Amino acid sequence: MPISPKEIVSLIGLTSIVFLIAPIFLIRYVLLYNRKKKKHEEEKSIMVKTLETELLRTQMEVQEQTLKTIAYDLHDNIGQLLSLTTITLSSINLDDRAKSAEKIALIEDLTARSTKEVKALSRMLHSEELLSRGLFSAIEFELDWMKRSDRFTISFKKPAFESFTDDAGKETIMFRLFQEIINNIIQHSKATEIFVNLDQVDGALKLTIRDNGVGFDVDATLQRKTGMGLYNIKKRAAIINGTASIDSTRGAGSVITITVPY
Amino acid sequence: MGSVPLSKLITLNTAAEFICFLVALIFLYRDKSAAWRVFIVYLLLTFCAETTGLVIRKVFLTANLPVYNTFVVVECFFTSYFFYTLFKPYGYSVKWLFGWLALFTVMYISELFYVNFADFVAVTASVMSIVFVLACMWFYYIKLTDERYEPLLQSAEFWWVSGALFFYFGSTACNIFFDYLKQNEVSAYNSSIRYIIFNVLNIILYSFWSFSSVCRYRQRKSFR
Repeated sequence: MPISPKEIVSLIGLTSIVFLIAPIFLIRYVLLYNRKKKKHEEEKSIMVKTLETELLRTQMEVQEQTLKTIAYDLHDNIGQLLSLTTITLSSINLDDRAKSAEKIALIEDLTARSTKEVKALSRMLHSEELLSRGLFSAIEFELDWMKRSDRFTISFKKPAFESFTDDAGKETIMFRLFQEIINNIIQHSKATEIFVNLDQVDGALKLTIRDNGVGFDVDATLQRKTGMGLYNIKKRAAIINGTASIDSTRGAGSVITITVPY
Repeated sequence: MGSVPLSKLITLNTAAEFICFLVALIFLYRDKSAAWRVFIVYLLLTFCAETTGLVIRKVFLTANLPVYNTFVVVECFFTSYFFYTLFKPYGYSVKWLFGWLALFTVMYISELFYVNFADFVAVTASVMSIVFVLACMWFYYIKLTDERYEPLLQSAEFWWVSGALFFYFGSTACNIFFDYLKQNEVSAYNSSIRYIIFNVLNIILYSFWSFSSVCRYRQRKSFR
């Protein structure tokens, strides 16, 4: 059946209507996608802000930790040395020249030890500067400091390179994670041995800290309020796009592995 | 030559074109971009062409094809240049513009000779519409793939392109069946399907373009 001109004209009209409706949907899709892009950008900016806040908090915590260590050292170490020096000085009897010489030699030794301690503390005060020289040096310095107490046998294996990223913020957060884990070991684990291992695995830096302490129930600790430290470790690792795996069983020590891509 | 009252020369199309021209003049005359300033001139030329076409048809009662055949060239050169300025920030070379304009010129002259200057260059106009529709789509694609967020609802370029898309996409059916409609239209042009469609399309186009001028003015003011 041939189509009449009237029908063809109607068809053209109908086609034109369809062709008019199509751009409406197209524009709507573009606008919808654009709105999603905006939302994504907002989320990204919130993430950047969170990272900045977290970085600031981390920097403050690193400083706090340094000051705490200094306070303990001043009280327990240098304070003791100086007290001993004072006592020795006050006990000197100038008439007994032989004993006095012995005591002066002891005072000289005590003063030299105090000076050495003060120098070490001064280096500690520059921990931030130390971090700027590289994460691995900072970790090494912190472990060397711990070794002085003779409470732990520490084994540290680090990679050949000094730094794993140009992002100083990422290194600060990584260093703070290390400090938090070590603090937990000192306070709760009753460990005698600590193994720290830094490795490069498939474009990521893997920090493994293992101890031979009493261990703990990971799930139960994470659920309790006391598990905030562990929760923070996981949260901070996630902020720098990393992961934290916590593995521990009672009586068998614990292993915490932080993996951060770079 | 017939005597026609002035009111007969004011149609929906000419009114829309004139309002859009006024809006553009008010909001764009101080614009720093040459393309947007040329846009004002283009709208004035569109209004003049439309009015001249009407005068020729209604006053001199002769065919107004030469006006529209000439105007197609203005339309193509301006719209292509404007699209080029939209794509330029994304690294598109001027070769694309010159290449397309060369192709258009060859097509246009060939068709003019083919119809012996006695008919509208419908094929060239159809190809031009399709190319502009593709340019609009490409603009959207660029905006979608651009990682930076841009508030499109306030974007002058977005509304300009959207207006062009409505017009050139909506007129596709009319353009393709131009010859058929010319010969078989059931009624006179003033109440024909072509007239209705183009009225609707023009109103949409000039509304979008007027809003685009306002957006451009707002953008300029907010960047001060």
